[in-house]
Amino acid sequence: MKILVINNDGGGFADYVDVADGTTVAQLFERQIGSTKPSHYLIRVNRQPCPADQVLCEGDRISITPTKIEGANS
Amino acid sequence: MLFLRDYGDTEVGGFGIAASDDLLFVEDIQLVKQVCSWAHVAFDDESVADFFDRQVDAERRPEQFARIWVHTHPGDCPRPSMTDEETFERVFGRADWAVMFILDCEGQSYARLRFNVGPCAEVEIPVGVDYSRPFSATEPDTWEQEYLANVHAEQLRRGMASTLEPVLASPFDEEPTDAWYESWFDYAAEEEEAEELIL
Ligand SMILES: [Zn+2]
Repeated sequence: MKILVINNDGGGFADYVDVADGTTVAQLFERQIGSTKPSHYLIRVNRQPCPADQVLCEGDRISITPTKIEGANS
Repeated sequence: MLFLRDYGDTEVGGFGIAASDDLLFVEDIQLVKQVCSWAHVAFDDESVADFFDRQVDAERRPEQFARIWVHTHPGDCPRPSMTDEETFERVFGRADWAVMFILDCEGQSYARLRFNVGPCAEVEIPVGVDYSRPFSATEPDTWEQEYLANVHAEQLRRGMASTLEPVLASPFDEEPTDAWYESWFDYAAEEEEAEELIL
């Protein structure tokens, strides 16, 4: 089945990918991001935060976006 | 960027939107919801995710909208702080390349391009306005609306907690449940065990 994946790591990604039926959010995260800790990201499915074991469905949009973007001047 | 810098007294930050044919040519600056003080700016995580969704819906690629991180320094020094360096490393160190751009109150700027692939070089780059490219008319009203919708000064937050609470609210429609925390906690623990086994 096809799902839309959005993330900025590596070359950046915003495209449909084929995943096996029954793929969970955690499995997809591992495939896209590898070993980086999930706590460094906000992971949403169809614009809603999701549990790691949520099973993805055809047409889902999963976004893996950075968190804690902070600047300071001193 | 000058308009955004001068509208309030605080730092303000956003993402540079690059031309599709020149990823270092910034056509627009987009804000996300943020809490700011004179010395600090922090983006709202959910608003960052919404920004990614909107940009993808507009058919832009992440390298066009998520690589140029811009913010202001209300003082007279555009050099990056420790916090800036930490964010640039942690957040933008995993993309193939990224730019940190800082504009200070006196018009001095700082821009550094980092490549995280190949020889992984970092280099300060010059900043200029390219008048040879067509540009649209200034839209101060639109900019003002964007500023007011996104930039929330920290000192206001204390006095207007009820008004600004949604900015910092949890990214959940409802409060996250114990099951949600456990699912990601278990996942992270398994990951760490796997790492230890490899070591
Ligand atoms: Zn800074």
